[in-house]
Amino acid sequence: MSNTSVTLPGAIAGDRAGQPATAARRRRVALSSLIGLLLPLAILGAWEIASHLHWVSKVFLPTPERTVASFFDLLFNEGFYFDLIASLSIVGQAFFYGTALGLLLGAGAGMSKVIERVFGPTLDGIRHIPPIAWLPLVVLWAGVGPLGKVIVISKVVFFPVFLNTLQGIRNVPQKYVDLAKVLTLTRWQFTRRIIIPGALPSILVGIRYGASLAWALVVVAEGLSGMKGIGFLIFRAQALLMTDQLLVCMVVIGLIGFLIDYGMRRLEGRLLRWKQGFEGH
Amino acid sequence: MPQSIETKPAGQRGQLDLRHVSKTYDVDGRTLQVLRDVNLMVEPGEFISIVGASGCGKSTLLRLIIGLDADYQGHILLDDRPISGTSLARGIVFQDPCLLPWLTLQDNVALALASVPLSEREKTDLVRTHIELVGLTGFERAYPHQLSGGMAQRAAIARGLVTRPEILLLDEPLGALDALTRMRLQDELLRIWETEKITMILVTHDVEEAIYLGDRIVVMQANPGRISRDINVELPPVRQRTDAAFIALRQEVLADMGALSQSDRGGPARLRRVS
Ligand SMILES: Nc1ncnc2c1ncn2[C@@H]1O[C@H](COP(=O)(O)OP(=O)(O)O)[C@@H](O)[C@H]1O
Ligand SMILES: [Mg+2]
Repeated sequence: MSNTSVTLPGAIAGDRAGQPATAARRRRVALSSLIGLLLPLAILGAWEIASHLHWVSKVFLPTPERTVASFFDLLFNEGFYFDLIASLSIVGQAFFYGTALGLLLGAGAGMSKVIERVFGPTLDGIRHIPPIAWLPLVVLWAGVGPLGKVIVISKVVFFPVFLNTLQGIRNVPQKYVDLAKVLTLTRWQFTRRIIIPGALPSILVGIRYGASLAWALVVVAEGLSGMKGIGFLIFRAQALLMTDQLLVCMVVIGLIGFLIDYGMRRLEGRLLRWKQGFEGH
Repeated sequence: MPQSIETKPAGQRGQLDLRHVSKTYDVDGRTLQVLRDVNLMVEPGEFISIVGASGCGKSTLLRLIIGLDADYQGHILLDDRPISGTSLARGIVFQDPCLLPWLTLQDNVALALASVPLSEREKTDLVRTHIELVGLTGFERAYPHQLSGGMAQRAAIARGLVTRPEILLLDEPLGALDALTRMRLQDELLRIWETEKITMILVTHDVEEAIYLGDRIVVMQANPGRISRDINVELPPVRQRTDAAFIALRQEVLADMGALSQSDRGGPARLRRVS
């Protein structure tokens, strides 16, 4: 497994749901997204030329047509579905458990210094052993099936959610805490009306980051153990020099990663409608 | 702790009595005296201005009265009962309007009624009338980032009033606004005070504002924070900032604050600023 390039989107808050766009503004946006297509098209063109003129050996760079054909071949003849579903199901479960636990412990630690002190050191220790280093042990205990991967990836989702929830709660401005006292809010009202919405932007950044980490990591985890999933396929393709399949896997991985992030951003935009941030020039 | 809104006629309630109130902060092991022996009696329905230079302890004093800080010496009584903690009988408008950015204007105002045992209908009515009172009708569904500074401050005032407190504390509520908006809101404050007939304590560092609004002016000095003068304003209810008596009083208060150099006192040079 040589070039495993895993791109992790940074933990920065992204686009916000903005003001209703005027027609002129919409045209400008449409135009600027066309600009974004130029580079991919150029790369595709270069790929066509490079493969057809045999600048690169076929073994290492099949033509785009061959790659597309390979996609359908994978889909219809090789049960690509099942591998995809296997990977998605691992990520889905891990995302669910990691997020749930992260929210729960993060909220607990955020609201109570005692809880933070009880869990803090242990969690810090766990956190500093990278997920890939956990994998061998967990696979030894839980087997090469999905369970071990779910555990390791849950851990990967857990930390950004936990830390961002904790931070988000702690960063709720003191003036809002004072306001809650002045308005004699109950503890529950304070939590629901002030702490949760106040911490939400930070929490969502953590969840979004966790989701993209999870998807990146399932590929690695499946490549390292087990006989199923898109991660397994991509490493098998490399071993068998089936570069067309390898490329298909790469594109599909990228596409799903993009869709996950897009979904998260939509969710964020919807939940944070009240927020007005810098959207770029 | 749900609170009931007092419905007794105003003019009887809202008497605030501070007796020998002192306050110290511990900063890096050193003791910093912020307030020393503050005595103040505010009659029901009075509008008093507390004026003093920045850092003389005005906000600290309001934090004690509102009940956010119980660590002080002396006694604070509202209607002859010692205050304890916060209560909806005492409302406050902070300098920063402190609206929650995730709530619309009407939800921000309604939040003040969250712990009040009223029906949703009654709450909606109260919120609507108070938004109307501060002249923000039509902006009920706006989020704070869509409001101007003046509008946000009006919203904060509506939130301070919607619980019908006996006494409303205003901590430099107009300090961050431009001169024109500030003058307009000063008139609004007067109008609201006349409508609501509640006790108001306005903290400000702007002497003109203090005189324009207050029946009484309490001058504070710093290090340690203390009351140095308590002046009854004997001006007609509707005040002219350019009135000779107004300007004379302003000079007097400024002198009490230690803000004037010898040559500044009462000279015509001062007149140029107001005209
Ligand atoms: N939490 C605090 N801890 C220590 N010192 C404080 C604190 N709050 C205010 N002070 C000090 O108390 C003094 C009075 O502050 P403040 O009441 O905010 O003044 P004002 O509102 O009149 O400008 C200042 O010197 C300030 O530095
Ligand atoms: Mg202050």
